Amino acid sequence: MKIVEVKSLSKNFTHHLAVKDLSFTIEEGRCVALLGPNGAGKTTTLEMLAGLQKPTKGTISFLNAKKGDYREQIGYLSQHPVFYPWMNAVEFLLFIGELSGLSKAAAMKRTDELLEIVGIADSKKRRIGGYSGGMKQRLGIAQAMIHEPKLLMLDEPVSALDPVGRREVLEMMKLLKKKMTILFSTHILHDAEEICDDVIMIHDGNLAVSGSLPELRRKYQEDVIKISAEENLEEWAQTIATWEVVSKVEYRDGSVEIFVKDVAAARSPLLAEIQAKQIPVTSFTVGHTTLEDLFMKVVGK
Amino acid sequence: MKKWVVLFRKEWLEMSRNYKIIWIPLVFILFGLLQPVTNYYMPDILKNASDLPEGTIIEIPLPSRGEVLAQTLGQFNQMGVLVLVLAFMGIVSAERKSGMIKAILVKPVAYSSYITAKWLSAVLLSAASIALGMVASWYYTGLLIDPYPFMNLVKGTGLYLGWIIFLLTFTVFLSSRLKSSGLVAVCALLVSILLSLSTSLLGKWMEWSPAQLTTAASSYLVDGRVEGPLFLPLVITGVLVVIFLFLSTANWQRK
Repeated sequence: MKIVEVKSLSKNFTHHLAVKDLSFTIEEGRCVALLGPNGAGKTTTLEMLAGLQKPTKGTISFLNAKKGDYREQIGYLSQHPVFYPWMNAVEFLLFIGELSGLSKAAAMKRTDELLEIVGIADSKKRRIGGYSGGMKQRLGIAQAMIHEPKLLMLDEPVSALDPVGRREVLEMMKLLKKKMTILFSTHILHDAEEICDDVIMIHDGNLAVSGSLPELRRKYQEDVIKISAEENLEEWAQTIATWEVVSKVEYRDGSVEIFVKDVAAARSPLLAEIQAKQIPVTSFTVGHTTLEDLFMKVVGK
Repeated sequence: MKKWVVLFRKEWLEMSRNYKIIWIPLVFILFGLLQPVTNYYMPDILKNASDLPEGTIIEIPLPSRGEVLAQTLGQFNQMGVLVLVLAFMGIVSAERKSGMIKAILVKPVAYSSYITAKWLSAVLLSAASIALGMVASWYYTGLLIDPYPFMNLVKGTGLYLGWIIFLLTFTVFLSSRLKSSGLVAVCALLVSILLSLSTSLLGKWMEWSPAQLTTAASSYLVDGRVEGPLFLPLVITGVLVVIFLFLSTANWQRK
């Protein structure tokens, strides 16, 4: 079932178009990654979905309702979560919980639960002003889901965190996606690949690619053979590029990446060639293109 | 309504955490109590402070009890307004700047509740501070000069609060529109000064002005009755408060 349907969404600021004619749908229960380089319009899109900005054009329908306030159904974490530094975590979650429409008792109960889930129960009586970045991010996620929203939107939830914090938030999201629909933006493709089901890639405010991860793999994934050697392979790489099975060759940082249509058909001739030319190979890897390669292709670099 | 109460409660928690709830009333009490005290001891102060030649006789007629209270209002109208504007200039703009406003409005909260909860808490704290300051002044005036009828004090202060509520509403309005708290303070103070000045200089043209309420309050405190226009400025002040409050709550999203 569709939970959100966005139709030709546009947003003009005074001097530029942040989002141009963007349409996509989000299915209930999926974990969707909104990808794009910095300035692609990710935050603007999310803020429009959250009702924080008015679209210049286009419609957003939530659970098939075109109009109306659906804020009660969504949880949102902004890119730089802010809190009242003079509150402690319990006070803040109670405040947000009651604003979300929970009764005092229910807010209290959810606060205790969430503090355990996001792992800041030990510091719950400390002023938020003294929290570390990672703790603030956890508290941010807790405040976004206090009223058990149908759709949880997270804007760059892991970008500002150190590797440990990132790992923890990702693990938390893996647990959460079993319970609710998640839409999160990121430019760290590795994270997206790890936890999302669907991908929406935008570039310059336009929809570039969208689909489920397996679908994208089927459609865009190519096989790659990566070869490095002790000598310079640039010249040799050019001769390979003319082969029938090879679609593209790239020479990068002393190694050659050969994009092939069929690994099986390319592997033995390549190995034979290496043998014949006596190339001092140090590594020969067979793999696939990643989301990052697709992303780079989309962004046009 | 329940959410409005939650927001209102948060404002008071914040004002107690940053001690506004203590220092603002204290400032007004201090101003209020200094006025009768300095008036009473002025001859002694002058005698000790200046090196006038031996034998100089200083004779300053002691102002009447009503005049002392009117002077207190005058003091509030300068320093008091400055204090209130500075205290509340960031009431909305600071949260807009920090992004906190987004964290709140992404929840199912009406923007009008958000603004009116802030507005009412600012108005209540200011009104209470001014009332306490006037009571302090009234108490020392009674002690040092002459007891003053309490009901007259209440009525005079009430008139003056109309002007303060207007200024606070205007400050909240500016704060909801401008990003810089400093600019809010400058604009609010400028409007307060210009209105007061033009009201006293162009009396005939400015009979509607909310600043007439300060004149009315002063004359009421001194003479026990209001000289000049009263009904018109009261109505206009009420209308302006409603208009600016409405404008502050109107459409906050960037178009």
